[in-house]
Amino acid sequence: MADFTLVTANKNYCLWPLPAWLCLKIAGLEFDEITIPFGDPDARQRFEQHSPSGSVPALKHGDLILWESLAICEYVADLVPNARLWPEDRTTRARARTTASEMYSGYKSILSRLMPTNIRGRTGPLDVPEELQKVIDRNTEIWRDLRATYAGDGPYLFGQFTIADAFHAPLINRFVSYNVPLGPVEAEYCDAVRNHPNVKEYIALAEAEPWTFEKSDRPFAA
Amino acid sequence: MAELTLILGSKNYCLWPVSAWLCLRTAGLEFDEIILPFGEPDSRERFCDYSPTGRVPVLKHGDLSVWDSAAVCEYVAELAPEARLWPEDKSHRAIARSVVAEMHSHKASPLHDFLPGNVRRRVTGVALPANVKEVTGRMTGIWTECRRLYGQEGPFLFGHFTVADAVQAHMVNRFVTYGIELEPEAAEYRDAMLAYPPMVEWNAAAGAEVSSFAPSDNAFPNS
Repeated sequence: MADFTLVTANKNYCLWPLPAWLCLKIAGLEFDEITIPFGDPDARQRFEQHSPSGSVPALKHGDLILWESLAICEYVADLVPNARLWPEDRTTRARARTTASEMYSGYKSILSRLMPTNIRGRTGPLDVPEELQKVIDRNTEIWRDLRATYAGDGPYLFGQFTIADAFHAPLINRFVSYNVPLGPVEAEYCDAVRNHPNVKEYIALAEAEPWTFEKSDRPFAA
Repeated sequence: MAELTLILGSKNYCLWPVSAWLCLRTAGLEFDEIILPFGEPDSRERFCDYSPTGRVPVLKHGDLSVWDSAAVCEYVAELAPEARLWPEDKSHRAIARSVVAEMHSHKASPLHDFLPGNVRRRVTGVALPANVKEVTGRMTGIWTECRRLYGQEGPFLFGHFTVADAVQAHMVNRFVTYGIELEPEAAEYRDAMLAYPPMVEWNAAAGAEVSSFAPSDNAFPNS
């Protein structure tokens, strides 16, 4: 049994645990997973049993139980500084935290509502409502801006893979599922993240999952 | 002119920036304030001059702009480690960050919608709908649990004042404005927050502010 246990929902339908999952992998910390599939009759009860806030992800480490992705990622960064999950420079780190935090507080509910997660699903180009287009434009602007300012020779927002990238990974997977048209800089960044070995691993695991969840499959119905 | 500048909305009506403001005060860092008028037709546009999201607070430090309260508080904690804005113990710090992140996530939004910020106003007899009650119950539950488990050495969630307390300030003020009764342990914590000198200072400034914002001034007219 590993020292750490990450509590998640099914990977195909729930991307919010992805940042924490990626950080644990990149930090090289072994962890067990408890997967609570959405739609199970006792899912709500099990979320509450394993997570103080009743939402996933939660991370157990001995007696410690943490909740909220951003806090879990910070904890992993704190435990394994060598993984460089934040940029070393204080000013750059502040910029990276701003980026992660903006995604965390700003776009989560609109994305869950208008672009439900479905890693293996693919739609044709969508008729995108204005409020969603604003989120897409804002985030692609962030990518262009950070890549131009901080990325140097590296493929990610701050060169190396940081928590800021981990928080954008759920959006990137949505862009692929929903066939969102992208400019060259954004497309290149999306490819870099999708090709990160741990992101690939997560996608493969999601695609192999046995569960289906009708609500999230609906936008992809032929 | 100070090296740091905090951009905020009205102190009476706009409670998002209070956490960053309290952290800056607790850290003893000098800062200038730019207070943008709140609730005017061009407010959003003017906020956008300082922050790409059109939301406050924004902290400027030389060429650096940091926005989103959680990121601003983290940055202030890094600038002034001696202020101990996070608990020293790694596990306690992690719990504190979970508390901050939960408050910062969309889960607290029923609170903002139903109990709009209005520091100086006093309303009585407000009945909370179930979705708001769920949030206030969860948040005061966190207060009680942190106080019991980590708060022995002082009046705050982790003993001394941390970012986890700073993000509770808006809730404390909403409870006072709308006369929401609290269980004894939660009430004790609320009172400790209200007596914290930087909080006293913020609330006094809010009380003295020349400002008005009809939607928040007219909520619950019959109570």
